[in-house]
Amino acid sequence: MKHMKHLIKPYLIWSLIIVVIPMVLVMLYSVTTAGNSLVNIQFTLDNFKKLGNSIYVKVFTRSLSIGGITTGICLLIGYPIAYIISRKKETVQGILILLVTIPMWINMLLRTYALMNIISETGFINTLLISLGFDKIEIMYTDVAVVLGLVIDLLPFMILPIHTILNKMDKSYVEAAYDLGANKFTTFKKIIFKMSLPGVVNGVIMVFILSISSFVIPKMLGGGQYVLIGNIIEEQFITQGNWNLGSAISMILIVLMLIVIRVMNKLDKDE
Amino acid sequence: MKAKKFFGLLLVLLVLVMAVIPAGCSKKKVLRISMPGEYIDPELLTKFEKEFNCKVQQDTFDSNEAMYTKLMSGEEYDILIPSDYMIERLIAEEKLAEIDLKKVPNYENVNPLVKGQAFDPDNKYTVPYFYGTVGIVYDTTVIDEADLAQGWNILTNTKYKDKLYMYDSERDSFMVALKALGYSMNTTNETEINAAYDWLINQRDTMNPIYVCDEVMDSMIAGNKAMAVVYSGDAVAIISENEKLAFFEPDEGTNFWVDGMVMTKECKETDLAYSFMNFILENENATANTIAVGYTSPITEVANKVKNEDFADIDCYIPKTSENNEVFRHQKAEVKAKFAELWTKVKAH
Repeated sequence: MKHMKHLIKPYLIWSLIIVVIPMVLVMLYSVTTAGNSLVNIQFTLDNFKKLGNSIYVKVFTRSLSIGGITTGICLLIGYPIAYIISRKKETVQGILILLVTIPMWINMLLRTYALMNIISETGFINTLLISLGFDKIEIMYTDVAVVLGLVIDLLPFMILPIHTILNKMDKSYVEAAYDLGANKFTTFKKIIFKMSLPGVVNGVIMVFILSISSFVIPKMLGGGQYVLIGNIIEEQFITQGNWNLGSAISMILIVLMLIVIRVMNKLDKDE
Repeated sequence: MKAKKFFGLLLVLLVLVMAVIPAGCSKKKVLRISMPGEYIDPELLTKFEKEFNCKVQQDTFDSNEAMYTKLMSGEEYDILIPSDYMIERLIAEEKLAEIDLKKVPNYENVNPLVKGQAFDPDNKYTVPYFYGTVGIVYDTTVIDEADLAQGWNILTNTKYKDKLYMYDSERDSFMVALKALGYSMNTTNETEINAAYDWLINQRDTMNPIYVCDEVMDSMIAGNKAMAVVYSGDAVAIISENEKLAFFEPDEGTNFWVDGMVMTKECKETDLAYSFMNFILENENATANTIAVGYTSPITEVANKVKNEDFADIDCYIPKTSENNEVFRHQKAEVKAKFAELWTKVKAH
């Protein structure tokens, strides 16, 4: 198997080019002064100082709370789905997992546009409500719309890792628990959930990271006034042309993600 | 083991070859254009390709700034179609090549109104593409015509709370606020800029406006809200789909803008680029283009004809001229940074 090691080389070169070098550039931009040329570099911490501004603090807290809510809802919906799927026959499981992933085959923008048509002021839901004689409800451009969009988009990332773990789980542990007199709830709490924790941790990490860094869904469903971390990064790079400040915000986001991964993994090991 | 190595090498070679073939194989000349999305009749591109036996490589952008960022990161084009203030910036930064107007004979049919504007006073770099203004498209069944007298300040009339789209761009939003307050949209006066910021914050608090980009067109056609700040050309497209809507340009004045075709210094196909500019201004093509997109043709004859025939019911097709209208000028870095910071504050408020 030793010769297989060589096969990793192209991947290493590839990841050096598209992952490591851009990361180094982002770090470099975040601690240098304005201007995009690398010729006359000047180091500064101003970019990070600017982030102490209450506006950025507000945006960060909003992003974290939206990320937290989205992750929580995904877990609440995703776990039971993964559990139910894992208790079906192998063939049925294949079909059900396929159904879970089918929405991911469609472009995310298209899915979000479809959602907009459903929840907009003159959309499907409101047309239905009005024809039934109810008042129309405002979902579009609210927290509800953004969280709804994120949950729909990210749910598979929660279901898949949990399902994988539950599916691989040795059923004899569950039987043993029942034999020893545990009721359904205790068995679930002490055996099933505990053993599926690595899957839960993976799901939570993925959903949380993807939701706090998303910017297309908040922009489309929340409107331009719905500013999350991803949106200010995008704005700094694309419209304001301030790559340095954009990089500094990206660095903070990276650190935040590393903390989350670390905490979650620790939780996993402690259990 | 040898075989595996061999196959690996073969695979790498294959990938390399596939990456090179499309560029090396076609002998046709290629014209690289960067322009806003949905800003040309796609049939014109095919027609041009046939007529001049070339290939047009069209790249679209969402905003002038996005295009500028792309240019700065090393992307090369032959022709750009940016807006006035971006042209001014590109001229100042010496990114554009001067245009030999003799090679664009149709230029003489261009409306004098759009020539010689402050961003390119001697018409050395720009061949006008479309022009227009910014105004308010409104639902005539919801908005009281009498309130239009308020001008831009109708956008802070709490009667219409929750019924309003603003354009998600610092340039257009600050233009609205500054004009509503009776200032110049090109002001650098700190007090005036701060007053405009307060106007926008107040609007945000009292009106709950939604900041949108191009999706404003679909949303207004669907009748989701009663008012929206839009470009005159977009208003034409919106109103032609929903006749309950109308467009008005407040008396305080608005942003008069010109989008132009410019040639970059990196332009490799100069002759083809000139042919393209002339082709676009050809009466027949200009007519097709303006009807497809909805923006005002800079060719006087075409604009008048289209106004009387195809867009006869839509009187905003040719925007009003007013002394109070201004062209947006390129801002100095520190002024731009100030506006950018305030706009982020407004949005994240």
